[in-house]
Amino acid sequence: MMRPSQIALTTFYWAFIVYLFLPLALMVVMGFKDSNFIGFPINAWTTRWYVQVFQDTAVLQAFGYTLLISIASTALSLVIGTWCAVFLGPARFWGRALVFAVMCLPAVIPGVISAISMRIFIRAIGLDPGTGAIILGLTIHNVPFVALMVLSRLGAIPRSQVEAARDLGADSLVAFLRVTLPFLFPSLLGASIFCMLLSFDDFVRAFFLGGYQPTLPVLIFAELRSGMSPAINAISTVVLVVTAALGLWAERGTRRLKGTRS
Amino acid sequence: MHRQSTIARFTDVTKRFGKNVAVGRLHLDIAQGEFVTLLGPSGCGKSTTLRMLGGFETPDEGRILLAGEDVTRLPPNRRDVNMVFQDYALFPHMTVAGNIAFGLELQGHGRGAIDARVSELLELVQLGSFRDRMPDQLSGGQRQRVALARALAREPKLLLLDEPLGALDAKLRGQVQIELKALQQRTGKTFLFVTHDQEEALTMSDRIIVMNAGRIEQDGTPEELYHQPRSRFVADFIGETNLFACQVRGSEDGLAVLDWNGILLRAAGSPDGRTSVEAALRPESIRLSTERPDQANALRMRIARRVFKGSRIDLDLEAQDGDVRLKASADPAAIEALTGDTVWASWDPARLAILQA
Amino acid sequence: MATTSERTGNDAALIRPQDGTRGFWTRLTGNPAYQRASDLLLSSDRRRFWLLAVPALIWMFGTHLGPILTMIRISFLDSYPPTAGRVPDVTLENYLLFFQAPNYITPFVRTFVYSTCYTLLTLSLMYPIAYFLAKKLRPSRQMLFLLLLLVPFWVGEIVRTYAIMILLGNRGFLNIVLMGLGLTSRPIPFMYTGFSLGMGLVYLTSLYMLLPLYASLEKIPRNYLEAAADLGAGSWTRFRRVTLPLSKDGIASGCVLVFLISTGYYATPVLLGGPSTTVFAETIAGFFHVAGDKWPEGAAFSTIMLLASLVTVGLFLRLLGRRRGSLLG
Repeated sequence: MMRPSQIALTTFYWAFIVYLFLPLALMVVMGFKDSNFIGFPINAWTTRWYVQVFQDTAVLQAFGYTLLISIASTALSLVIGTWCAVFLGPARFWGRALVFAVMCLPAVIPGVISAISMRIFIRAIGLDPGTGAIILGLTIHNVPFVALMVLSRLGAIPRSQVEAARDLGADSLVAFLRVTLPFLFPSLLGASIFCMLLSFDDFVRAFFLGGYQPTLPVLIFAELRSGMSPAINAISTVVLVVTAALGLWAERGTRRLKGTRS
Repeated sequence: MHRQSTIARFTDVTKRFGKNVAVGRLHLDIAQGEFVTLLGPSGCGKSTTLRMLGGFETPDEGRILLAGEDVTRLPPNRRDVNMVFQDYALFPHMTVAGNIAFGLELQGHGRGAIDARVSELLELVQLGSFRDRMPDQLSGGQRQRVALARALAREPKLLLLDEPLGALDAKLRGQVQIELKALQQRTGKTFLFVTHDQEEALTMSDRIIVMNAGRIEQDGTPEELYHQPRSRFVADFIGETNLFACQVRGSEDGLAVLDWNGILLRAAGSPDGRTSVEAALRPESIRLSTERPDQANALRMRIARRVFKGSRIDLDLEAQDGDVRLKASADPAAIEALTGDTVWASWDPARLAILQA
Repeated sequence: MATTSERTGNDAALIRPQDGTRGFWTRLTGNPAYQRASDLLLSSDRRRFWLLAVPALIWMFGTHLGPILTMIRISFLDSYPPTAGRVPDVTLENYLLFFQAPNYITPFVRTFVYSTCYTLLTLSLMYPIAYFLAKKLRPSRQMLFLLLLLVPFWVGEIVRTYAIMILLGNRGFLNIVLMGLGLTSRPIPFMYTGFSLGMGLVYLTSLYMLLPLYASLEKIPRNYLEAAADLGAGSWTRFRRVTLPLSKDGIASGCVLVFLISTGYYATPVLLGGPSTTVFAETIAGFFHVAGDKWPEGAAFSTIMLLASLVTVGLFLRLLGRRRGSLLG
């Protein structure tokens, strides 16, 4: 037995799911259309766009480059974000609220302003646009997310855990490495997947801070502006599958870890 | 107390949290091999005292000596004491053996020596077959024993126990109290135990230190504390008690004579020159009889209420139309009187404690 | 304080050769060099604090605040990047430029009007869904239903924008369906309008509305509602007097996030919008990509946009009666 309000809400939920998935599904379907023209109806099917994409060195290079940048910025974000969280978590000092606000700042600044201010900043410190600049920009954007995720987990660790380690002869570094860090592991895994997704998908920073080598989103953007080619569907589908698989795997992994270690 | 037998000493130690004085001007000596309990309500400063000895809080004033060495400002990892935490604080990502070996690894032992010591400790706490279990696969009582073994592993000069039985159910707690006391006697270690549970303190301790509002109220053996409470706080905190507000009438045969609402009572203590004092009497120190007993303190009273508690019967006694009331407790086998009956209530003057404050 | 030599002497006595090999942690902490470093750096709370604080503060103030401050500084210069042999003058020209030309003010106003509308639209769409997830489902199914909503958001901005283009194009799915049903004889030009841009922005940002709403609704104990029902409140009264006030924090966080994020998109307005929907992000980007040497103007316009967004967010939070600073904490 369902009340009318329940039926209405359920219907609305599923309608929204359709809204979310339909465009992506259409894109995947379009990638198998045997025509140079993107649009409906579809009369013939092919896999040649996929073959073409996997033979296109520009696409493969962009893919590898984006992966490299994502991994580098994720690793940096994890270290810096954890460092900031470990510093801010237990510390009580005058101006802590201000420091906390500064730490969160990059997460709330509108993307285009963040990218443009970074573009000016790297010029001011004498860094050229390119790999280093993108990694720096992505890391700055990611650090608040890592720090907030680690902070929330850090708040859940019983004080006695670290005290027990100190009591048993560990100095604060050993206590951190052997007790706190394993406790933080689920949040670090979650944060690293989140950073990977944010970095891999990022367009605006890569666009304003990039050099000659485009990242995958920048490459797709450029192709879209110069007119839609059916190969874009194939590239996008590959990106979709890779990110969704990564996300699903991470979701399952973090949930299992949180289940056993809380 | 002999100088050389003192293992830990607090000298004039004060600890404040903000404006709040958690521990004020504390002096305390703990002797080698003792089972000492810090007892008091929450917020009385007992845990802070323990944590200062463990190195988790630094005193604002005063000094703490451990085996003659000033450890006041030493971090926890540089002190020869170990702690059993209230929640046990077992490391969830390490096995039982890993937990116990943790402190030994940091002491610089080799693997062979660590393995041997871990086995020895597991035998001591009777968990030999649980070596490779993870903490979340253990029961509460087993975790408590692992925490104990882990804390004993480094052969500390002093073992600190911060309410380690609080998480156990009532039935298990009684059993663990006995085991813990036996373990302490077997190992000859000095235990400093913190609890708010008076029964736990009475069962295990050689010496109990009752704390209130950051100060020591009384320091003595369980018997002393129970029958000779020095203050109203101690009398109230440990067990049930009858309090008498009395005028001092003088002394007779070495006993103090006290006037309680016009009734003359005799007590073994000294009023120290005061004209009015408070005296405390335990309910079970009151004997009930139908005949007038041969006792200096005897009152004829009516049973106003009788509550059966299984192992004993609690009675509310009244005299003078309810102006005088007493709580008594008696063995069910020894009393047949019912509500409304009139009986003689009497007690030994030595059981009527004159409070010092 | 125990001196280092005393302690190492102490530990050394415990190490016996017949003990067998020593593990990694034993070797690390038994190493005299490590012990000296540990004594020097970690022994006091104050030193540990500064050891953590200095790099963290340098990072945060340098890289989180540095770009914004540099941008503001540049916005007052008459030329940048600097040309050799010439010191740039300080000027307000770049800010005055904004107020002088309607072709700058129009996209600016449009950005804020659009973003406000999209935010409210997203709120009205996501509130029922968050409510459905948090209050109408068993906890065991909540995670599954939530996960289903999350999946599309793992795909990036560009790919999802492109997917919307396929849906709305002249030969897109929507037009084909509408023509197939005979509702229209020729394709409706959805693309490059406020409609397509709105579809895209809602598509991109709804998650940032959903999650805070869900979190705040999920926290409301069921017995509050039962208590209200017990006191005779009908379902509408229960919602208005209990659920809505208690989810105010989620509404505030969601709206602020969606507003800030949607003003910051660049690629989506470029791809989905047209000349009549140019937003301020495109105007600003123009200074950096199309024209040469116009960074100070771009910086000034970015500063204006940043200030305006923060003021809008501040006013909005004031309106809801929330303290500041609790947005992400």
